[in-house]
Formats: sequence, C-alpha cells, structure tokens
Amino acid sequence: MRGVKHIIIKELTRVFKDKKMIFSLFILPPIMIVGMYSLMGNVMGNFMSDIEEHVPSVYIQNAPEDFGEAITAAQYNANIEYLDADKNTDSLKDGILNGTVDLLVVFDQGFTGTIDAYQGEGDSIPEVKTFYNSAEDYSLAARESFVNGVLNTYQQSILAKRLGNMEQLQVFYIDKQPETSNIVNEEKQEGRVFSMLLPFLINIMLFAGAMGLCVDAVTGEKERGTLSSMLLSPIKRGEIVFGKLISLAILSSISAAIYAVSIVVALPNLMGGVSEGGGISLKFSPLEMLQLFVIMMFVVYLYVSMVSLVAVFAKTSKEANTYVMPLYILVMLGSLFTFAGSGESKLVNFFIPIYNSAVSMQNLVLGELTLTQFGITVGVTALLAAIVTSLITKAFNSEKVMFNA
Amino acid sequence: MIVVNNLTKVYKLSKKQMLEQKTKKNMKKAVDHLTLAAKPGEIYGLLGPNGAGKTTALRCIATLLKPTDGNISVCSLDTVKGSEKVREKISFLTNEIKLDPQFSPKYMFNFFGRLHGLDEKTINERRSKLFDHFGIKDFADKKIEELSTGMKQKASIAVSLVHDPEVVIFDEPTNGLDIVTARSVTDYLKLLKEEGKTVIISTHIMSEAEKLCDRIGIIINGLLVMEGSLTEILSKTNTNDLEDAFFQLYKYHNREEA
Repeated sequence: MRGVKHIIIKELTRVFKDKKMIFSLFILPPIMIVGMYSLMGNVMGNFMSDIEEHVPSVYIQNAPEDFGEAITAAQYNANIEYLDADKNTDSLKDGILNGTVDLLVVFDQGFTGTIDAYQGEGDSIPEVKTFYNSAEDYSLAARESFVNGVLNTYQQSILAKRLGNMEQLQVFYIDKQPETSNIVNEEKQEGRVFSMLLPFLINIMLFAGAMGLCVDAVTGEKERGTLSSMLLSPIKRGEIVFGKLISLAILSSISAAIYAVSIVVALPNLMGGVSEGGGISLKFSPLEMLQLFVIMMFVVYLYVSMVSLVAVFAKTSKEANTYVMPLYILVMLGSLFTFAGSGESKLVNFFIPIYNSAVSMQNLVLGELTLTQFGITVGVTALLAAIVTSLITKAFNSEKVMFNA
Repeated sequence: MIVVNNLTKVYKLSKKQMLEQKTKKNMKKAVDHLTLAAKPGEIYGLLGPNGAGKTTALRCIATLLKPTDGNISVCSLDTVKGSEKVREKISFLTNEIKLDPQFSPKYMFNFFGRLHGLDEKTINERRSKLFDHFGIKDFADKKIEELSTGMKQKASIAVSLVHDPEVVIFDEPTNGLDIVTARSVTDYLKLLKEEGKTVIISTHIMSEAEKLCDRIGIIINGLLVMEGSLTEILSKTNTNDLEDAFFQLYKYHNREEA
C-alpha cells in the first residue's frame, strides 16, 4: 500500500502548495458566508426597525368623543387627523393605494349612541371600518397596532362600563401562568429546529466540497494527461483510486468543516436581524460527537467516490459537471426529507443510502439515535462506498475509459 | 528484451468516430499481426506515418492497452498477466502523458521514485545524475506549467527514467523540440543503448531513424511491411536513403489498400 500513502501526500500537497486553491477552497467560502449572512441580517434588521420607527399617518372619521383618551391611554404613536362625518374619503383611499396614507378608520354614524342604546339580542351593533393596504408594510403594521393596541382596549373599556363586572365574560382561565405550563427539555426544543437544518446543511456542504475537488482531480487529470503517468507506475490501480479518494475525502471534510464553522459564526448575524439573541446552541455527549464524526467520514467518502465515479467516465470537466448535477439533486432530496418530520425511526429507513445519513444526523441532534440505527447507517454507507470504489477501479483498468481506446 | 508476437489491436469505433473517419465499419484494426523483437543494447525504431499504429503498438508494450490478439513479453514477463511487474522494468514516454503542471520537476521526480519503491538515497543519486545530464538543475524547483516545451520534455524524460529501467519505450521523443534539445535526447538514448538497455522508439523523422536506430521496422496501416537494419532496408528496396525506401513502400501498400 506504499502507493496510497504517496498519492495522498501528493494530492494534499497539490492543494496546500497552491495559494489560489487555498484561497478559493478554504478562505473565500467563509468570507462569503459571513459577509452574506451579515449583510442579509443587516438588511432584515434595518427593514424591521424601519417599520418600527415609522410614524404612520392615520385618518379617523367620525371618532367618538372619548376616543382621543383611548389613543392616549394606548400610547399609540401616529400622525392622526380627525375627519368629519361628511368628509369625502376617496382621495384618502387613493393615498392608501399609493402608499402615502397608512390607515383610514371610519366609525359608524352615531357610534356611541348605538352602543348606549343596546338592550339585548337583535339590537344593532355599530362597526368600526378600517381601510389599509396589505401590500404596504407601513400600512399593514399601522393597522395591526391600531386594532390590537387601540380598538381592542377601547372595546374592553366600553364592555367594562356596560357590564360593570368583566368577570361575567370569563367562564374559566387557561394557563394563568403560561411559563409554568410548558414542561420541555430546552436542549431538545432547540435541537428540533437544528435537527431539520443540520442534516441538510452537512449533506449539501459535504457534497458541494466533493464536487469541485473530484472533478478536477479525476476528469481534470485525465484531460491534462497527468493521470496516465500514474497509471504507468508499478502499483495497483486500486491503490491509485484509494489514494485519490482518501485525499479528496480529507480535503472535502476540511472544506465542509470550514463551511460549518463559518455558518455557526455567521448565523447569529443573520438571526440578529429578525430576533434577539438568535444564537443556537447544540450540546453533544462525547459518544454522540464520535457518532457524528464517524457518520460524516463515511458519508464524505461515499460522496467523493460517487462524484469520482461520474468524473472518471466523463471526457471533459464540463461534461463531468453536467453529469454530477443529478447526483447533487439526489443528495439534496435525500436530505430534504428531514424537513418533513423528525425522529422517523422505522428501521427500514436506515437501509436507504444518503437518506439514512440525514435521518441519523437528525436523530443524533434529537438525542434519539440508537446504536442499531447508527450501525446500519454506517454499514450501508460503507458497503455502497466500497461498491463504488471497486467500480472506479474497474474504470481505471478500462482502456476504453482511460484512453478512449 | 521486447518480444511482440502476432499483436493485433482492434478499436471499437463510436458512431461519432465512424462519421469522422468516414467509414461504415464499427471496428478499426490499428495494429495487424505485428511481430517484432527488440534486444538489449540496441535501439529499435518504429517508422511510419501518422495513424499507422506506432503509438498503439508502443502503448500495448507499455501495458496501457491490452492486445486484442497475440501477446507481448517484456523481460520475459507477459504484459497482460504481469503488467505491474512489467511497469517496474519499463520507461514509457509519449506526448499524451504529462507531468502534473502544478509541481516542480524535482517534486515529480521524487514522487515517481517513491511510487517505484526507491529509497531517498537512490532517488537523490538518480536525480543528480539525470538532472545534470539534461541540464534540469536550473529549473528543477520551478513549476512545470512555467517551463518551455523543451524543458518539459527534458523533465518528462528524466522522470520516466527515475527507476533506471531495463527497457525504454519512447514515442516520438524529439517531437516539437529544438535541435539542441533533440540532440541531448538522442545522445541520451545512445548512452542507454551503451548501458545495455533495450530501447524502442517511434518516429516519423527519417534522419533520426537513420542516425539513431540499429534496426528499423516500417509500419503502414497497422502492418509491419519491412524490418531490418538501414543497409538491409536500402538494399531490399533498392534505394539510396530511407525516405525513398519509405515512400516506395508507402505507395505500394496504399495501392494495395485501394
């Protein structure tokens, strides 16, 4: 196996001695991810705070006498203009459509009188009609805060006056102290979000890393005629294949690890834009970490071998990249199923390659991965990887594939 | 020692290749019952036009292609059954096989030395000797992609000889080289011959074959149409130089084909 060792060293040297390769493989992606996520977070954050800071222009027609107090009590901040009952509101509605006016509120004629005259069932109930534009963020936000903050409170106060005792409306309470109701393992709850995201991200990152590297290292070398020089050395073709695949798996893992770290670093920047303290924490036991590592190693080797198999049959790198795309989609689909449900634990699922690794990683995050599931996943992945490796070795031995003869 | 016995190599043509070669046959006989022997201490030259089957024959000897029919032995080892052992004993140089452009000649030399199982001391000694002879020392640490065609060819030759092989197979070794570099290559081939190595080269340069080869095999359309020393070939064809002899044979065999 001396060939394997020397080929691994050569392949790693090829990448690590090339400044351009180091930059494009290991430095540019994290810069891009952190930069992109921060930018997205900033844009989203600015967008949210812009809506919060905006003082809406609100027109209220036919407002009851005591409504001004209700607005003050609700601390509703807006440029409010009160309109008489006979004022035509068409131009205001046009303003709402054009985005220059945020909200128009129209109280029924004799609003307070109708409420006061209410005796029982069948008596008329007045309406407060709001006009807003759901396509305009300012308008939508102005209406939401007006209805929730002002109108609801105003309604409560009128009800309190009418009934004298509000408790008549309250038949029973649901969760007087909601914070004590939820009996949850917080780690697991955080894990649920991550359990959907992590397998997808890991699979995609591992495959994306493998894709670029393998096409260059196999089809690229075939095109350049440098692979043939290795085929002339007195070592088994299997050693050349194994050496190449191991080195590619190492490089893909490093690339995936860098992606993973940059995403972890960049995620709070992205989440910071929409929620406060958006950090996601993940805790693994040493055994779970080992299991994740083992699964990832086998999966990355499988992906590297799958891409290399396609790459070895392609005549040009362009052709190889075209052939690899369906595989990429397959991997994406396999990993996407984890979004559909969590903790899918039917044993048969763990015999389906690619999907099994995604489900295993998901269960691992949820703390539900059994040793049997882990064993089947690793076994099936290893078996498939071995089959693919032997197919590549066959292709390396084929003069038709290697020399187009 | 190389013994080629009744070697036939047939390629299957794809539909695209059939269209390109304007043929309706889906098979192409690149080499047709070729029999030859190259002995230690001699340079055997395969002479023929482009597409005659020279490269295919040499690739079969170098274990890269398997004969469709017939067999080849190199140092008494079968090229199919003992391909790995054969590769230990040969050096093969052809235009299509190149050194990784991102590495230096020195790195490539050491890498292939290690693949051949040589120890560091032997690699260093061989490197010093070959790099000296071909004048590679000045650019030994430069990336191969930065080298000129001649420098690259020199580096390829040196790397292919790292393991001091018994058999040297060079496919058009002076192709595209300037006169000075070409001379250093042919000089080294003579040196290898003096060292008792078996050398087989392919060429379409008549003067090179005349000056360099002890025996010449003329190959046309996959067939070995004549074999012998320069004097023997000139006498058999009743011509004064190899070029005339070659054209006479070429016309005769192409007429037969037609």
